[in-house]
Amino acid sequence: MRRARLVAAAALLWLSLQLALLAWWATVIGRQARQIAALEALSGAGHAATAAQWSRTRLMLVGESSTFLALLLAVSLLLAWLYWREHRRARSMQAFFASVTHELRTPLTSMRLQAEAIAEGDQRAELARRLLEDSHRLEAQIDKTLELARIEGGGPLAEQAIPLHLWFARSLEGIAAAHGERLDLRAHIDASLPPVLADAGALQMILRNLVENSVRHARITPVGVRLTATVRDRYLVLEYQDNGAGVQDRSAHLGRLFARGAGSSGAGVGLYLVRRLMQRMRGRVLFNVAPGEGFRCELWFRVAA
Amino acid sequence: MNGPARLLVVEDERNVAETLIERLRASGFQVTRADSAASARRAIAEAQFQLALLDVGLPDGNGFELARVLRELAPATAIIFLTAHASAEDRIRGLELGADDYVAKPFHFRELLLRIQNCLKRAQDLAQVPGEMRGQVRIGRALVDFERFSATLDGESRALTHKECAVLRLLAERAGKAVSRDEILDRAWSADEFPTSRTVDNFIVRLRKLIEFDAADPRVIRSIRGVGYLLTEITRE
Repeated sequence: MRRARLVAAAALLWLSLQLALLAWWATVIGRQARQIAALEALSGAGHAATAAQWSRTRLMLVGESSTFLALLLAVSLLLAWLYWREHRRARSMQAFFASVTHELRTPLTSMRLQAEAIAEGDQRAELARRLLEDSHRLEAQIDKTLELARIEGGGPLAEQAIPLHLWFARSLEGIAAAHGERLDLRAHIDASLPPVLADAGALQMILRNLVENSVRHARITPVGVRLTATVRDRYLVLEYQDNGAGVQDRSAHLGRLFARGAGSSGAGVGLYLVRRLMQRMRGRVLFNVAPGEGFRCELWFRVAA
Repeated sequence: MNGPARLLVVEDERNVAETLIERLRASGFQVTRADSAASARRAIAEAQFQLALLDVGLPDGNGFELARVLRELAPATAIIFLTAHASAEDRIRGLELGADDYVAKPFHFRELLLRIQNCLKRAQDLAQVPGEMRGQVRIGRALVDFERFSATLDGESRALTHKECAVLRLLAERAGKAVSRDEILDRAWSADEFPTSRTVDNFIVRLRKLIEFDAADPRVIRSIRGVGYLLTEITRE
C-alpha cells in the first residue's frame, strides 16, 4: 500500500514537471515570436511580410512543442515500462525463492525426522527407503534450479540426432528408478521411426520433470505413464499420457514460470523448463488437459534429416 | 485428560506424515492422519481432537481455511501450524486465525513435542472453567461463553481463539484488580514464541475492538500505567 502511494506520488510529480516544462517552453517561444514581430515592425517590413514571419514562427512553435511533448511522452512511457518490467521481475524472483525454499524445506523436514529416528535406535529399512526418496527429490529440485539458471542465462544446447527407441531403452529405467513402486513407466517407440534433433541432457530433464509431475499430482499409486510416438509432417510427436487425476484448473497457465495449480505443491518450474527446452530445440509442447482424464501432453521434435 | 491425547495430523507429504505419525505414536499420542482438507473436515466431523497439526499447503485447500473450520466446529482443539511457508506474514496470519503455535519446517521432533505438550497443557487449563465463569458472562458489549469459546456480539456469535479466551478469563477472574503484562504473557503465551510486553498491548487493542462499546475510548479494559490492565465490567447473565 505504501509502495503504491509512493509510485502514485512519483507519477504525479513527473506529470506536473512535464506540464510545467511544457508551459515554460510555450511561454519562451511565444515571447520570442512577439519580439520577432515587433523587430520586423520596427525595421519597416510590410504587413504581408510580418504575417508570413508570424506564420513561420507559429509553425515552429507548434512543431517544436509537439516534438518536445512527444519526446516527453515517449520517455515517460519508457520509464513506466521499465518500472513495470523491474517490478514484475522482482515479484518473479520473490515467488521463485519462496517456492524453491518450500520445495527444499519439505524433503529436509522428512530427512531430519528420519535421521532423528535412526539416531534414537530405529533400524527399519523403511526409514532408509524414505531417506533415499527424499534425497532424490532434493537432487531433482537442485537440478531444476540449476537448469533454469542455465537456460535463462542463454546456456547452449548440443543438438544431435537421437533415435528415441534407443534413448528410451537406455534411459527409461533410470528415470523410473527415482520413484520406485509409485510409478509404472512404459514407452512404446517403433524402431522404424526417424531420429529426432535434440539435446540428450534436455531430453532427460524434460522426461524427468513430466514424470515427477505425474507422480506428485496423480493421486494414485502406482501412477501409470505411457509414451508413444508418431511422425507428423517434419516432426516426431511424442505423446505422454498418465492415468492420474489430471489438472484441476488453470490449465491455460501450465508451462508458465512459477505457475502452480490451486493447492498443488511444487515450485512451478518443472513444466516451464519442459516448454523452454522444447522451444530452444525449435520444437514445442502442447498441454492437453481435462479434469479426470489424466495429464496428457505432446512433445513435437524436429526430425533429423 | 483421560488416556492418550488425540491428535489430528493434516499433512499431504507422505514421507513427512508417516515418519511424524510413527514418532508421535511412539511418544504416546493417538494420531489420525488426513492428507487433504476434505479428509481433515471428515475427521473433524467424526471425532474430537485435543490438538491439530495443520500443514498450510494442501492439495485441495489450505490450512488457514481449515483452522477457521476447526475454530467453528471444535473450538476446544488446539492448533499448531506446521509449514514450510515461514514468512512473518504467514506466521501472523496463522496466529490471528487462532493458531496456538506456528512451527517452521524443517523442525526438530523434540522441539515439536515440547510445543505440543505446552499447547495441550494450555488447552487443558482452558477447558477447566471455574464455577463462577461457567455459563454466559457479559464483558462490555460481548456475551462470553468460556466453556464454548464463543462471544455473542449484537446477537451474532463468533468463535474466540484460545489466546483471546485465556486473556479474557484471566482479566475476568481478577476483575476490578490490575493484572500485569507479565502475568498475561505467562497465561497465554509460551516462552518459545518470543513475546514481549508490546505483544500484550497489541493483543489488548484487538480485544478492545471485540468487547468495548467504543474502542477509541476504552472503559471496559483500562490501562494501568506502569502495571498492566484492569477489567472494570463483568456481569453474570
